[in-house]
Amino acid sequence: MLAPQMLGISIILPFIAAALCLINVPTLRSALVIGTGVVVSLASLLLVQSGTFSLTPESILGINPDGLIAVLDFALLFVILGIAYRLKNKLIAGLTLLQIVPLAVLELFMNPGENMGPALYVDQFSMIMCMVISIVGSLICLYGLPYMREHEHHLKLEKSKQGRFFFFMVLFLGAMNGLVFSNNLLWLYFFWEVTTLCSFMLIKHDGTEIAVKNATRALWMNMLGGVAFVFALIIFRSQGLPLSLQEIITAESASKLALLPVGLLCFAGFTKAAQMPFQSWLCGAMVAPTPISALLHSSTMVKAGVYLVIRLAPAFAGTLFSNYVALFGAFTFLAAAVLALSQSNGKKILAYSTISNLGMIVACAGINTPAAISAAVLLIVFHAISKALMFLCVGSIEQKIGSRDIEDMRGLVDIMPRTTMMAALGMVTLFLPPFGALLSKWMAVEASAHLPLVVIMLALGSALTMVFWGRWLGMIMTSVVPDKVLPTERMPLFFSVPLWTLAVSAVVISFTAPGLYTSMVLPVLERFYSADLYTAARGVISNNIGMFAIYPVFVVMALGVIYAVRASSAKRFFRRGDYVTPYVCGLQDPADPRRLGFKGPLGVWSEFKTTNYYMENIIGESRITGWINLIAIGILIILLAGVF
Amino acid sequence: MDFKTFSFVILAVILAPFAGGLLAGIDRRLTAWFQGRSGPPILQPFYDVIKLLGKDRQVVNYWQIFCVHIYLISSVLCVALFAMQADLLMIFFVMTIGAVFMVVGAMAVPSPYSQLGAQRELIQMLTYEPLLIIVFVGIYLVTGSFKIDDILSYERPIFLMLPLLYLVLTFALTIKLRKSPFDISTSHHAHQEVVRGVLTEYSGPYLAILEIAHWYEIVLILAICGLFWSTSWIGLVLLLALTYMAEIVIDNVTPRMTWKWMLTYVWAVGISLSFFNMALLYANSF
Repeated sequence: MLAPQMLGISIILPFIAAALCLINVPTLRSALVIGTGVVVSLASLLLVQSGTFSLTPESILGINPDGLIAVLDFALLFVILGIAYRLKNKLIAGLTLLQIVPLAVLELFMNPGENMGPALYVDQFSMIMCMVISIVGSLICLYGLPYMREHEHHLKLEKSKQGRFFFFMVLFLGAMNGLVFSNNLLWLYFFWEVTTLCSFMLIKHDGTEIAVKNATRALWMNMLGGVAFVFALIIFRSQGLPLSLQEIITAESASKLALLPVGLLCFAGFTKAAQMPFQSWLCGAMVAPTPISALLHSSTMVKAGVYLVIRLAPAFAGTLFSNYVALFGAFTFLAAAVLALSQSNGKKILAYSTISNLGMIVACAGINTPAAISAAVLLIVFHAISKALMFLCVGSIEQKIGSRDIEDMRGLVDIMPRTTMMAALGMVTLFLPPFGALLSKWMAVEASAHLPLVVIMLALGSALTMVFWGRWLGMIMTSVVPDKVLPTERMPLFFSVPLWTLAVSAVVISFTAPGLYTSMVLPVLERFYSADLYTAARGVISNNIGMFAIYPVFVVMALGVIYAVRASSAKRFFRRGDYVTPYVCGLQDPADPRRLGFKGPLGVWSEFKTTNYYMENIIGESRITGWINLIAIGILIILLAGVF
Repeated sequence: MDFKTFSFVILAVILAPFAGGLLAGIDRRLTAWFQGRSGPPILQPFYDVIKLLGKDRQVVNYWQIFCVHIYLISSVLCVALFAMQADLLMIFFVMTIGAVFMVVGAMAVPSPYSQLGAQRELIQMLTYEPLLIIVFVGIYLVTGSFKIDDILSYERPIFLMLPLLYLVLTFALTIKLRKSPFDISTSHHAHQEVVRGVLTEYSGPYLAILEIAHWYEIVLILAICGLFWSTSWIGLVLLLALTYMAEIVIDNVTPRMTWKWMLTYVWAVGISLSFFNMALLYANSF
């Protein structure tokens, strides 16, 4: 089979294409982005055809790969040190040195290659990740082409910075693919740091003061994770364990394994996945242009963090540490949902919802039963698709209406009917059954049922999630009696292709969830767990404590939607003259009943305005973030103490 | 699905609205009796719905109509899934579809009453949803399953193990029944400050559809209450009758409260009661 070639393409091609993107020519750039996207997506799909395999490349372009990675590692760290010098940031410089020195010790004195298994390991979990990264990531890059043109047009830049922009975007995809396939922890660490650097450069892309500030914060928080990562490697070596991920999580070595390095790796995962108290870097990343936010939030970066935690889950199954991880994740889930409720800034809502979902994934890794791990893996997939869709919609909306405040999105359906429908679909697939994200939530709640504190946090967070999505969904649909002509909307080709693809796959992949589970999730679980696995038969996913009938609910709801669409045909209402104006106690303007407002006392016209409850005086961001961070740090300390 | 389950589902879907309507009629008669009036005939809810169905359509936009239908379909689906003895938590999530779309329908109309009602309805959902999940978790802790067929085969009434969680469930029931003190987003009496709140913009046949969907929902919640004494018919009927009677009494003796009070009170009391009950379970298992 061509599997090793496909693997090579998915990692190396983005690196080459990214370098070529630096030649700042628009047509070449478009060709590169589209070409890489198509090839990498196809490679990821072809890769799925093969089974689990591992691989150690003998040489890359004639160079010993381990040596190459080691050199690149140091090069990367010195680049970051240079950045720290330019930013005059002692913290980042210190954190970088804290990685350079131990890494040098590790490379020189601790014989890192001893008993090393294969450098790359491919199983169904990394294949799923690769598909998410390659396909969703490429679609976002595609969307970036017209978006960045418009963005730079709007900023009136003299010299285009798009070459650099797409360099880092495409590089990101390669680094992520490398990350999920690496079995050698040194390789994983290299790709890990590449994503840190890429996200820093992308967040500060616009070069404004706030962009630099937020990028700096993202950098130091992620470097903190990097430090934990290096120290974990040192501890592994000092215990005489090989730096091989598969070696560490398999049962034979798990018994002699101290939890401390695993805990440190999880800590690195938490920083990258923006768990509380590190959520601020991901929220700050919102200053970047939308394709960047979309990339960071859906298919890359944060998913790297949760990927590592889930990968490590078998190594800490059944420990107290595991329960603390569940508690930590559940707290992030709840706290981020509370913060999302207090926001009217659309992108902030998306950001907190991402953090909340990541919290759920981490909680699932901590619950550490096969049901919970299935929930985590499926949630990664479904969240990536729907969240990418949401970000791309909000990006288009922002470019059109000039605001990202959801209060300004009232009546959006009259201005951008297609984008509104896509956004509505994105929201519905994120929080309502029978779609995949909710399926994962259902699995998570059932799996956590034996941990009262965790399940109560999940229940509260889940209700909050429903509120902030529900009201946003309602707001964009608000409209008054339309005129005779129904509104239409034109979308650029590279907007509509990613949006349509994501929207269709959000629905279709949800429908095929049982198949996805059986073919891609179950084989991974069977390696580590023998009891209580979900089985998927005839569209029903079930285990000994619960069952979710996906096909029946899907079919009934699909028929229901078709019926409801027919029953609410706008044209028929026109024809029959059923339209009326909203009820305002009969005090509307007699001349123009469509105008919203009241004829008040003495015939004075008064407008009215309705807004959501944001409860900012109770749960506003500035009010409770400090407390949330405090609690999160507390849980984190207990958690890390739990490794001893 | 075998023939027996299938006929059971069909029967439930057909009979549920009749049961719901009848219950609403009895409710109105009893309330009238409490208040010293004679009240309407017991079949009055059906007369109302039939009359509404025959009225002219009045629509502000097509979205609200779409949403009404989704609400109805999800409510019917929930009852069907319950009759199939499916997973409780799944049924709950399917019920959320309807609840959310009812709010979306109300928010799709720029009328201040319907908007405000929708916001309050969201708060009501926020109040009862976590409690329902916790109740289901409690049922799981006792019976070891979320599946209704397993729960029904548990040999003792689970009410005996989960008395406090049953109380928590009745909070959700009160909110769903739109009874005082929780009739905040809309009430049965149209003379409140938000007119009819979340229902303001619905009239004629669409209001009738909402009413029918509501009956389905009430039947579903009462069926969930019934699970708590599923071992004997007498126990079940007695439990449901007592519960509903208590609802009517509470409705009559309490005023409508604000959403802030509802959220803080119900969450605080509900979650504490749940914790107590779970602690009780753990103590029992020793």
